[in-house]
Amino acid sequence: MSDITVFAARKIITMDDNCPQATHVAVRDGRVLAVGDAGCANQWGPVRHDDRLQDAVLMPGLVEGHAHMMAGGVWRYAYAGFHDRIDPDGVLWPGSTDLNAVIGGLKDYAEGLNPDAPLIGWGFDPIFLSDARLNRSHLDQISTDRPIAILFSNFHLMCVNSKALDMVGYGSGTNAEGVIKGPDGTPTGELQEMAAMFPIMRRLGIDFRGLSQTPEAINAYAKVAQRVGVTTITDLFSSITDADVDVMLDIMGDDFPLRIVPALGVMGDPVAMADKAQALAARSTDKLRLGAVKLMTDGAIQGWTARMRWPGYVGGQPNGLWNTAPEMIHAICAEMQARGIQMHIHVNGDEAAEVSLDAIEAALRAHPGPGHRHVLQHCQMMDRDLFQRAAELGCCTNIFSNHIYYFGDQHVALTIGKDRAHRMDAARTATDVGVHYALHSDAPVTPLGPLLTAWCAVNRRTMSGAVLGARQCLTVDEALYAITMGAAYTLKLDGEIGSISVGKRADFSVLGRDPTAVNPMALRDVPVLGTVSGGQVHLL
Amino acid sequence: MKLPLTVIGGYLGAGKTTLINRLLAEDHGLRLMIMVNDFGALNVDASLIAAASEDLIALTNGCVCCTMGADLFLAIGDVLDRSDWPDHLVVEASGIADPAAIAQVALAEPDLAYGGIVTVVDAVAFDRLADDPQIGVQLRAQVDVADVVVVSKTAAGAWPARLTGTALDLATVALVAPLICGIAVGQVPDRRASHADYVRWQAAADTVFEKEELLAHLAARPDGLFRVKGYVAAPRGQVWEVHCVGRQMTVSVGKGPVGLVGIGLQGCVTLPEVDAWWNSGDL
Ligand SMILES: [Zn+2]
Repeated sequence: MSDITVFAARKIITMDDNCPQATHVAVRDGRVLAVGDAGCANQWGPVRHDDRLQDAVLMPGLVEGHAHMMAGGVWRYAYAGFHDRIDPDGVLWPGSTDLNAVIGGLKDYAEGLNPDAPLIGWGFDPIFLSDARLNRSHLDQISTDRPIAILFSNFHLMCVNSKALDMVGYGSGTNAEGVIKGPDGTPTGELQEMAAMFPIMRRLGIDFRGLSQTPEAINAYAKVAQRVGVTTITDLFSSITDADVDVMLDIMGDDFPLRIVPALGVMGDPVAMADKAQALAARSTDKLRLGAVKLMTDGAIQGWTARMRWPGYVGGQPNGLWNTAPEMIHAICAEMQARGIQMHIHVNGDEAAEVSLDAIEAALRAHPGPGHRHVLQHCQMMDRDLFQRAAELGCCTNIFSNHIYYFGDQHVALTIGKDRAHRMDAARTATDVGVHYALHSDAPVTPLGPLLTAWCAVNRRTMSGAVLGARQCLTVDEALYAITMGAAYTLKLDGEIGSISVGKRADFSVLGRDPTAVNPMALRDVPVLGTVSGGQVHLL
Repeated sequence: MKLPLTVIGGYLGAGKTTLINRLLAEDHGLRLMIMVNDFGALNVDASLIAAASEDLIALTNGCVCCTMGADLFLAIGDVLDRSDWPDHLVVEASGIADPAAIAQVALAEPDLAYGGIVTVVDAVAFDRLADDPQIGVQLRAQVDVADVVVVSKTAAGAWPARLTGTALDLATVALVAPLICGIAVGQVPDRRASHADYVRWQAAADTVFEKEELLAHLAARPDGLFRVKGYVAAPRGQVWEVHCVGRQMTVSVGKGPVGLVGIGLQGCVTLPEVDAWWNSGDL
């Protein structure tokens, strides 16, 4: 049999200007051999035709530049969020739009549980609910015998039932700050931050490490990605031990449908972290790309912990919190730049972006080196001058467009106010100043799905239907470029993926409709039929 | 039994590692587990190292130093899941971190006891840093949440004007272990003994207290008696396990020989004051 396979499609959108559209793509050794019509590979020898995709539209495999592996593993718990979501097996979990729906949904879920298993939920977000705050008596309606813990969508808070409170001995005498008490002096069930959640997590076996880095979690991540056409994804900020790499390499063979690019979370001594990143880089394979690092700087805008420039938060809240001191950000940037290690730097507030750019500029002056492609991640409040500086310094930006839909209304009303909300996640500005950029979901914070993310950047609609800053809208073509070539560039993989071009990996997303032909408001509804990864077809 | 947890806070370069190096070098007789951000600045005499790996150093005196990795709470969970607990857990908070965000876990977790927050302040740099528009608020908060504030780098006579509360000059403290970990019952050789830096106090604690009475009594302890721990007789033959540090008190049903030890700062409190307070509970 021929070692050349020619896939026919209704249309192939290549993202390569030399041949923007085609109907056939030839694949050999997992890579693109030729692009064009049915005879495109004839000069290479005998071919085998594969017509399985002939009714589909192909695009390059989509690239998610900012997500977390937990987006797969977290589905081992019950989804309790406001929006509809689809699990790794394709099951639709309808959103719960009020507390009754949350409780009802969890009650149904509990029926399928082992009698002595705890009930653990995730994705709950009171910001979208107008009801009273979730408390232990709501959860006691589900069960008083079984411990129940519902994680909020930000993973910083949870609510538990009376049984769970009893297990850890929380009562009126508990002094820990994060154990919230009602007017009667007893715990309401709401627990804020890790210190207060830890005793519950420990006893119910809720383990964020176990939600990634296990074979089940890695496979679930691959399934979630496959459902939305993603063939390359990041896992930003993980601890990555050698044992973790062993587990990943064991699973991620040639037929694994996903390429994962983890970034090592930098904590502590920059030199030791750089050593570790370089040691990890040496273990990279085609499917597992190690060697980059992730740096946290500030917090989150909707938690009022992002570091802001003047005029700060509209509600007058104090400026946010640094997770890494600016002085340390400088030290880390200097070390990583000196060692040639690519950094992904979390910056939500504009002050955090400014400090990070200052640090990169200083690092570049001390250790000149083009091609570093350090990536500012989230970039939510960057305005034109900050994007301009990023461009000048050779940095990439990865813009959190999903925030526009999910939190845009809150940003106008509660966090940064109308003017800055309208210019937030400024993809148009990024395009205008010529900085390299991608668009992202930060899954599981918002759902994984680059076409949804592109829809957010193109339409800039909020949940209420308002348009948040029409001047910042992208065209569909620009947005599709950002979720393929744009994101590949931020991962230094644009030579291998991001377009359907000769020599690149045969990674495709298989779509049911042409995203360039639908109404832009329907971009998020374009059906994904599966992926092709390294020439192997993985239909849903 | 609860495992006491102390958090050492303070900005980059304030002297947290120096303090930890002193703690490791002292003859305190405790098996400490110390979680640090990195080993880079640790200074452990090679002859004292029993075993070492990439993220762990075991000393011949039973103390262990480890790096905490990306998830501190996971690391604390791992310690609690071990069968051989150390005598005391010490966690070094990273430079900008809020030490209380870590220490609160000792008030929440039933297996942990609150060992307090020791914040290290640099005598020379603190005034400037405390007013820094970027990090000043977070650094002042590290001092505000501390149970004990210690000042480093005072050699040239420097003292931060921005420190308003009580603070100890680290150069005048001969032993840091009592400050960070307290002392164990039996470590007060003579009931009247006092080290130059500390007032050490011990009591039989065999008078039976109801929990509420005990809490009220402990709450009235003299300022300057910054640590009290041990076991107090409870009704029906039970005993209360007591941990007090700074403003925090934990009283729970425990198991151990009745007896309390306390430690205060010389100059801030006297033994007769402590005795008078404790005996006022002997109704
Ligand atoms: Zn993220």
